[in-house]
Amino acid sequence: MAAEQQNLTKMISAQLRNKANEFLNSRKHANNLADILQMFDAETDNYTPLLLTIEVIFSELLKRGDLVQEIIPLKPIDHSPEAEYTRWLNECYEAALVRCLECIWRGRTNSRLQALVTACKLMQIEGQNPLETTNGYYFPSVRLKNIFTVLLDSEITMSAPIARFQEFTEYKDVQQYGLKVLSTIGYKKSPSSIYMQNYLELLDKLLANEIPTEVKNKIKERDEDKEEKVLCAAEGKPQFKYHAAVCRRHANRCWGFACQWALCEQPRAHRRALLLLVERLMPLLARPHLATDMLCDSLDAGGPISMLALQGVLELVRRHNIDYPDMYDRLYAMFEPEMFATRYKRRLVHLADIFLSSTHLPEGLVAAFAKRLSRLALVASPEDAISLLQLVSNLLLRHPALKRMICYEDTPAIMCADPYVMEETSAAGSRALGSSLWEVSALRRHAAPAVGAAAAAVLAAVQPRPRAQPLQLAPPDVAMFDAEMKKRFKTIEMNFMRPQGMALPSNERLVQYWELMA
Amino acid sequence: MAKVKNKRNSGLADKVHMKKKSEANKKKLNPFEVHINREKLKVLGKKSKHDRGLPGVSRAKAVQKRKETLGVEMKVMNKTNAFIDRRIGEKNNQLSAEDRMIARFAAERAKQHSKKSIYNLADDEILTHRGQTLEQIEKFDDPRSDEEDDDGGKKFGGLDDDFVAEGHFGGGILSKTDAQDGAKSHKDLIEQLIAESKKRKAEKQKEKEQTLDLTEKLDSEWKDLQPVVFKKARVEEESLIDKLLSKAEKGQDYDKMMRELRFEKRGTPSDGLKSAEKQEAEERKKLEELEKLRQQRMLSEEEATAPKSTQATAKHRSADDLDDNFDLEDEQEFMLAYDKEGKPLVPEHVLKDFSVPNAKPKFNDGISDTSSEDEGNGEDEESEQEDDSSKEEKSNEEGREKESSGEEEGEEDDDDNSENESKDEDKSETEQILPKANGNVTENIDDSKETKDTLDDESGSEEEEEEDDDNEPAVKDDNVDDLNDLKGSEAESDEEIEEENEEKIGSFFDLKSEEGVKLKELLDGKSPTQQSAVLQKLIKSYDPSLSENNKELLSRLYAHMLQYVNDLFSNLRDDGEAMKSFLVFDKLVPHFYDLAHTNKVSSKKFMCDLLKEKHDKFKKNPRKVPDLDTLIFFKLVSCLYPTSDFRHPVTTPSLLFMSEILTHSRFKDAYSVSRGLFITALILEYTVLSKRFVPAAINFLRGILYLCANTSILNPIQVVPPFRLHRDVKILNLEHDCSNMAVQHKMAVKDLVDKDITDSFKVSCLLNCVLMLKEYFNNCNDMEAQEAIFEAHIKLLGRVDLDLYPNKVKSMVTEVLQHMKESLEVKTYTPLAREKVRPKALRLYEPDIQEVFTGSKSSKLSREKAEKARLESKYKKEMKGALREIRRDKAYIASVKIRQKIQSDNIRKEKVKQIYKDASIQQGELNKLKRMK
Repeated sequence: MAAEQQNLTKMISAQLRNKANEFLNSRKHANNLADILQMFDAETDNYTPLLLTIEVIFSELLKRGDLVQEIIPLKPIDHSPEAEYTRWLNECYEAALVRCLECIWRGRTNSRLQALVTACKLMQIEGQNPLETTNGYYFPSVRLKNIFTVLLDSEITMSAPIARFQEFTEYKDVQQYGLKVLSTIGYKKSPSSIYMQNYLELLDKLLANEIPTEVKNKIKERDEDKEEKVLCAAEGKPQFKYHAAVCRRHANRCWGFACQWALCEQPRAHRRALLLLVERLMPLLARPHLATDMLCDSLDAGGPISMLALQGVLELVRRHNIDYPDMYDRLYAMFEPEMFATRYKRRLVHLADIFLSSTHLPEGLVAAFAKRLSRLALVASPEDAISLLQLVSNLLLRHPALKRMICYEDTPAIMCADPYVMEETSAAGSRALGSSLWEVSALRRHAAPAVGAAAAAVLAAVQPRPRAQPLQLAPPDVAMFDAEMKKRFKTIEMNFMRPQGMALPSNERLVQYWELMA
Repeated sequence: MAKVKNKRNSGLADKVHMKKKSEANKKKLNPFEVHINREKLKVLGKKSKHDRGLPGVSRAKAVQKRKETLGVEMKVMNKTNAFIDRRIGEKNNQLSAEDRMIARFAAERAKQHSKKSIYNLADDEILTHRGQTLEQIEKFDDPRSDEEDDDGGKKFGGLDDDFVAEGHFGGGILSKTDAQDGAKSHKDLIEQLIAESKKRKAEKQKEKEQTLDLTEKLDSEWKDLQPVVFKKARVEEESLIDKLLSKAEKGQDYDKMMRELRFEKRGTPSDGLKSAEKQEAEERKKLEELEKLRQQRMLSEEEATAPKSTQATAKHRSADDLDDNFDLEDEQEFMLAYDKEGKPLVPEHVLKDFSVPNAKPKFNDGISDTSSEDEGNGEDEESEQEDDSSKEEKSNEEGREKESSGEEEGEEDDDDNSENESKDEDKSETEQILPKANGNVTENIDDSKETKDTLDDESGSEEEEEEDDDNEPAVKDDNVDDLNDLKGSEAESDEEIEEENEEKIGSFFDLKSEEGVKLKELLDGKSPTQQSAVLQKLIKSYDPSLSENNKELLSRLYAHMLQYVNDLFSNLRDDGEAMKSFLVFDKLVPHFYDLAHTNKVSSKKFMCDLLKEKHDKFKKNPRKVPDLDTLIFFKLVSCLYPTSDFRHPVTTPSLLFMSEILTHSRFKDAYSVSRGLFITALILEYTVLSKRFVPAAINFLRGILYLCANTSILNPIQVVPPFRLHRDVKILNLEHDCSNMAVQHKMAVKDLVDKDITDSFKVSCLLNCVLMLKEYFNNCNDMEAQEAIFEAHIKLLGRVDLDLYPNKVKSMVTEVLQHMKESLEVKTYTPLAREKVRPKALRLYEPDIQEVFTGSKSSKLSREKAEKARLESKYKKEMKGALREIRRDKAYIASVKIRQKIQSDNIRKEKVKQIYKDASIQQGELNKLKRMK
């Protein structure tokens, strides 16, 4: 079946190529264009060959300038066949664009992506060869607007096409005009969740290229002349002028729309918005403290959302002098076993490292963190345990008073219970300073050698020599299994007792619990 | 005194001196000869040697000494011949005559042990016994012959003393006749004598024959015993032949035997038969040693090296170092310099130390990816998985190709075993043999299909599964037969089959591509014991000692067996089939052990590759617990490799793999829960010796208890991912009263296969979970954090409605719970403290002791200089003395010479005078004659 289909598509694309070539070679085959456009009506899920054909035809036409209508003011419309033909071509172009945009939300993913790319390519070529003669720089904003409208107003999530669109947002002009267009069409009273999703994603992609802030602007000015990528640059025309301030203003406007929506109701959109805010928008916002409320609400939401909000709050606290009550207790509350299931756990550990790097924190609080982190490391997977242990060792190094948790200077009095109270919500009240990091010494016996080593490193933090190292968060895809596999060994030890069967001669446990052979 | 130049004169002076001294001591001092030296400066307590002297005496002494040494030397000067008496101790009158003899004898003996004769032991020395040399005694003659000489001990040809006294020399006749009436005549007497001696001779003859018989009997017995004593197969055969020969020629057997005995290799004392006990003890000792090594490997590197590190390398220390371990950082100092743009040139590590944590790291955890994990939106998850898998597939394929080539090179370096595997061969083979997790063996081994296979594996796996579904009914029928086979007819063995087997074994490694198929053919359709026997035969027939490349062949067999086990455990449909697989596996394990021991390196490589492949497969869908075809290899690893090592090339990854499964997979049906428990038991097995801490297993048990317990939303007890609070369905929660149900203590094979959760499954899950929990708990007994680890478990156990469970289970669970609570109650917490470091004593310097305080200049000098000064002054003194002696020697020689000269002059003068005298006499006579005329 699949092979047949492939043959069919191959045949079709060959046919289409022929037709397009014929059309482009002579006007005799003008009807070919109409035929091709008609083929969009056919029910199929793969429009790729058609889209490619259209792209070829119209980019050629645009380059040739066949589509340019010469409109001379105060003159009746020219009815010469030449003009008629041009007009007809223009109509076809518009129709093709509409079809193309339709294809963005129809059919297979590949085909949808191709449709988007075709639309963008045509937009590029139109920008380079404008339909109306202009002197300055020209950007076909209308086309971009159409594309955006399609991307936003759809019943389905457009994450794949929007992700693909990122390759175009690298162009400075697309970024600038994109933000402008988005700020004009973005406003909507009560949008659907999918709209919000798409909107936020699109905004995220548009901001993927960092917009320089004023401070950096001057330093970087010289370098950027060379690097700047412009989509619709045509030779012999004035250069595109990039205005960072304009971009920022538009971005602010876009965010302004989003702020009015009920973002916090759907966790997905909420998370997306928070990610957008903390990753991209924070430095751009004109008045970032306006986001405080949203961040604070998010911080209370718990789970991954609060982890994301934490970063925003950190930014506010660090750069905008915002004081936030119970900051550390909230952070403390985030360290729960559930954090291992979220994908933001590494971010959280990193943020905690920054938060706790202040040397002016009360000792009891930091001790509580150390205790809690090591408690968590007891149940964590090896990879997580290592990063948590690193954090603990940084705490120990930065706050020398915590030394008593690993080396008790006074005569060791034997306690009958751990003074630390895990259930206590306030970090300062958990009486951690009287406790010891027994968890770390337990982790020295962890089955994974790397964790044992990390725990030993924590216990060795008493020595005054090492300074706190920046956390080295292992990339998540480097698994400990592979690392162990790569280890070299001098000898391969073998068991020295020959088993008589499945059961080991001593210390058999599997057969003790499983009746496998009866 | 002149230095002695001649060797033969060495020591002469001393001897002379000694001799004279003893004589001089006897002499009385003549007061007129004494000269008292005036003392210029009197020092108290100073013994003066030179306060008085005997100038005349000492001068005479010196002259005498010179006369005896220098004078003699002068005398023999320019004379080549000299008589030297070299008899040892001849001149030494202190030695007694006996001592002298002893000394001479010792010198004689010492001379014999020269270099030349060192190897000819007892060559020249002939030992004697009673004047006879041993050679003379040890004539290996017939022992019978010298028995005849024995009666030489009795005098007079064995006649009684009485008889001799009576009969000989006629002396007895008279007395006899006197004494006895019925006296026998002399003739009678002689006759009696003859008869008696004959009788004696006959008796002796008889006796001799008896001993001869006995000897022969002994000889024959010895012959039988011989092979036992000199244990050697060859000898045994020979002795058999000997026996035959000896039957043929009985007459010569004795000589032959004797010669044999003489030239036979004697049994060496070292390989005497060890008693069973001794062997056992030795074995035990060996095992103990290995166990000790294992214990050592259990420790981590730091722990192992801890005692060594205390001996720090000696560094330079200044004399006023206070031992406060204040380390000067002069090594890390650097010069601050600036580059052209004015930036300081600072080494990397310094910069790192001062840096503030980066405020904005790049996280790739969710910006580009729109889907989420936590929501649990079914749709999303699926789409994500699809995307992921499609991506991963490509990357994995590429990665695998690279790995396989890269690893080979790496591994080769590791080989410290002296293996003669040629590299090229090895490479191509391992690629071929590598067992594929999904595909069938038949395809995999084939070289041409190899590359295609790996690509098709993933896509094809689903199709294959479908195919398997079709085959299922047929397989099931087979199973029933097999099971019957198992139970009934294990003992019976068809000869035909055996013959067939042997053929197959013979040609097993003929075709590389068909080995896997052949193994399957060989093993299929047989009972486990038969399979084991066949494999045994196969392995034995390719023993590495038989041929050179057998080792390599066996390593290939190992790979095929891995593949066989993999196939055995994939797609198990019902418990009978599973049980059969386990039975077969049970029999295969010893062979795996043997094969792995014959070729450690390659077997490790195969195992690692297998684990890697399984891991890759697992990574594609980490939510699903791998099936038995993966889990069984963990068991195999624990059978082959020590699980307690701190780090091991095979066990560490497999333990990590297991813990990964328990952390990432979702446990929401019977399939996953049973496999989870299987893994937990295995992890327990891995860590039971080393008592390592595996959070994943403990978390899993917590999750299982959570699934069993009743928890309300209001009063939650936290669980650890992959279990989720309030989201997981309580699949193991017992709803009906099962208190009367029969209890099954162990988990059964059925639980691995069954799809639905029955009450008995729930019960045995809880029971085993609790029992394992107890073991894990006890493993952590010495940790202070035990409470923190197991607190939640205890709480969860408290929530389980035990009344619903069978009474026995209930009592066991409560017992465990009680045990845990009690041991936590008595637990004590000692705060972590650094190891007490013994206070270091201040360094003490060796006191500078002057033996005699003189206050002289020399004491202020350094030792070397003082020594030098001392030597110099001594040299000066000695030089002075020597010069004086030489001067006196010269004077003596001059005096001797002048004396000689004067003497010779006098003689000449005398002679001249004589001549003059004679001449004048002659002249006088002549004159007289003239006058006479």
